[in-house]
Amino acid sequence: MSVEVALFYGLSFLIIYFGLGVLMNPNPIKAAFNLVLTMVGVAGVFFHLQAGFLGGVQLAVYAGAVMVLFVMVLMLFDLEKERDAFSEGFLGNALKLISVGLVVSLVINSVLLSSDLQSAKGPGATVVKDAEITKKLADLIFTEYIFAFEILGVLLLLVAIGAVAISRIKGGTHANS
Amino acid sequence: MLTVDFMNVGLNHYLVLSAILFVIGMLTVLLRRNLIVMLMGIELMLNAVNITFVAFSHFNQMVNGQVMVFFVMTIAAAEAAVGLAICVSIFKRFKEVNIALFENLRG
Amino acid sequence: MGSDLIEIGINTAKLLVIFLMMVQIVPLLVWVERRGSAFIQNRFGPNRVGPLGLTQLLADAVKFLFKEEFVPDKNRRFLFYAAPVVALIPGALAFAAIPLSIPIEIDIMGKSYKFLFQGYEVGIGIVFVLGVSSLGAYALLMAGYGSNNKYSMFGALRASAQMISYELALGLSLVGILLVFNTFDFQQIIDSQLTNFVFMGTETALPNWGILYQPLGFILFVVAVFAETNRLPFDLPEAESELVAGYHTEYGGIKMNMFYIGEYGHMLVASALIVTFYFGGYDPIFWTPGELVATYGNVMAALLLHVVFLTKVGLFLWIFIWVRWTLPRFRYDQLMDLGWKTMLPWALANTIITAVVAFWLRA
Repeated sequence: MSVEVALFYGLSFLIIYFGLGVLMNPNPIKAAFNLVLTMVGVAGVFFHLQAGFLGGVQLAVYAGAVMVLFVMVLMLFDLEKERDAFSEGFLGNALKLISVGLVVSLVINSVLLSSDLQSAKGPGATVVKDAEITKKLADLIFTEYIFAFEILGVLLLLVAIGAVAISRIKGGTHANS
Repeated sequence: MLTVDFMNVGLNHYLVLSAILFVIGMLTVLLRRNLIVMLMGIELMLNAVNITFVAFSHFNQMVNGQVMVFFVMTIAAAEAAVGLAICVSIFKRFKEVNIALFENLRG
Repeated sequence: MGSDLIEIGINTAKLLVIFLMMVQIVPLLVWVERRGSAFIQNRFGPNRVGPLGLTQLLADAVKFLFKEEFVPDKNRRFLFYAAPVVALIPGALAFAAIPLSIPIEIDIMGKSYKFLFQGYEVGIGIVFVLGVSSLGAYALLMAGYGSNNKYSMFGALRASAQMISYELALGLSLVGILLVFNTFDFQQIIDSQLTNFVFMGTETALPNWGILYQPLGFILFVVAVFAETNRLPFDLPEAESELVAGYHTEYGGIKMNMFYIGEYGHMLVASALIVTFYFGGYDPIFWTPGELVATYGNVMAALLLHVVFLTKVGLFLWIFIWVRWTLPRFRYDQLMDLGWKTMLPWALANTIITAVVAFWLRA
């Protein structure tokens, strides 16, 4: 087994283990810490796939900023003893599980059956440097995708204003009830 | 008959990993009752999609997929900010962030 | 890692040595800090144990190891124990990515090898270091939550808010450096600072350091880095007059010591980054590394340049200590005002001006 393969399986194990931790852990703060480790695992996958810039951004933005925000809000609430961590009702849950199982079996089957994907073998011998990929990425963002990029800027501004507005309303979302 | 090659890690393996992670995220959204944990489930699903994009971009040698990941990350951050703001205002009112409280979101 | 056993072995040993360097610098820094603070406040400081009080640290370490272990009586044991270990990781990972000197090229058993004077080479150095060091907030959050103590919790909340706020200014002040040097790679950044500064077409005697291009960026970066390391005047998370000791209220003995190592490791990384970005890394001002290699040979020159680098880093570590014992602590609202209303706009202005000037000069 080569190092590459071992790395892939190690990272996948980490991602799935901590992902299940998010799902199973009844304590929301512990679930959040599990999610952080999942994000770090995904960043590892990005580094492994020679997307170093994205891996770094994943660590800084996702695992750093977004998750710190989550944990901070959870700690502000201090939800130690949580009522109804999981949804109840046998029929409803069974339906949910069945539908999710259908989705995953469809996806995995289609992945395994498509022969086009089998033939895609990756860069092979030509190892591309991270720096070059980052340069290409910048070129694409500022030429072909410039409109989407600008729109994202506007969206972020809106979100910043909206988040402040929502959280500053007195008495929550329904002051009149 | 499908034969699965475990030793030659290719595009398929990454896609299956991503599918599993997506399902975990989906189950988190469906089964958990805490609003913030549900938001975390959405983050998991977005991450799964990101893995797919990066895997395709790596194996097809095109960087366009990575641009998409960049955008998805921005959207995820924006979504988390708004979602958490809604959680804060729900918590202010009910001292809890259970999804059942959303029944009161009328009018 | 390498192509054969010798290369892999040496690279692994190098990683270990760099981690130990970070750990070993802590007792020295604690001594400098205690003596320095005593000097600043007109006291003596530790001067009884050994010459100049140097072995005081050894005594302290032994005391730390043999202290009674105390754990709060609540079911958050795992987070409580994990926090001090997590505190060590970001500093160690980030420090290993910074080049400490020129690469060494030697022949072993008839084969020539090239060893970089750094833990590992990351092509996207700046992004990597930013990403890894943003994980530092988790150690504090885990400590605050795991301790199950109101003071610890407040300390952790303050720490996370502060780190998020100042990360923006930190990242933006680095964009200026990116625009000037046009690369993410530490090695290339240092290489382009080795020449002399050219002003209006004439070569001056000044070294070509980043601070000459980015004076405002330098100030912003230093302030943001002070906030990220949770040192005075930004040590709100452990403000001892308000929160007992913040997130390390419940920690004692060797666990406390590991938090110390994490904090000083953070300082070390911060100083190394300041030196790399704004003061030419291992640039020995009056000579070029090539001349040194020609005179003293490759290995000797690499060691000399490493000493130059460490001297510069030591200077900034002293500034960290100096500031800590000179300035009073900010109030919480002042801290947030400074971060969001002062540093962020200045960092944005710096970015825009740098971008315009760089575009104009290169067009």
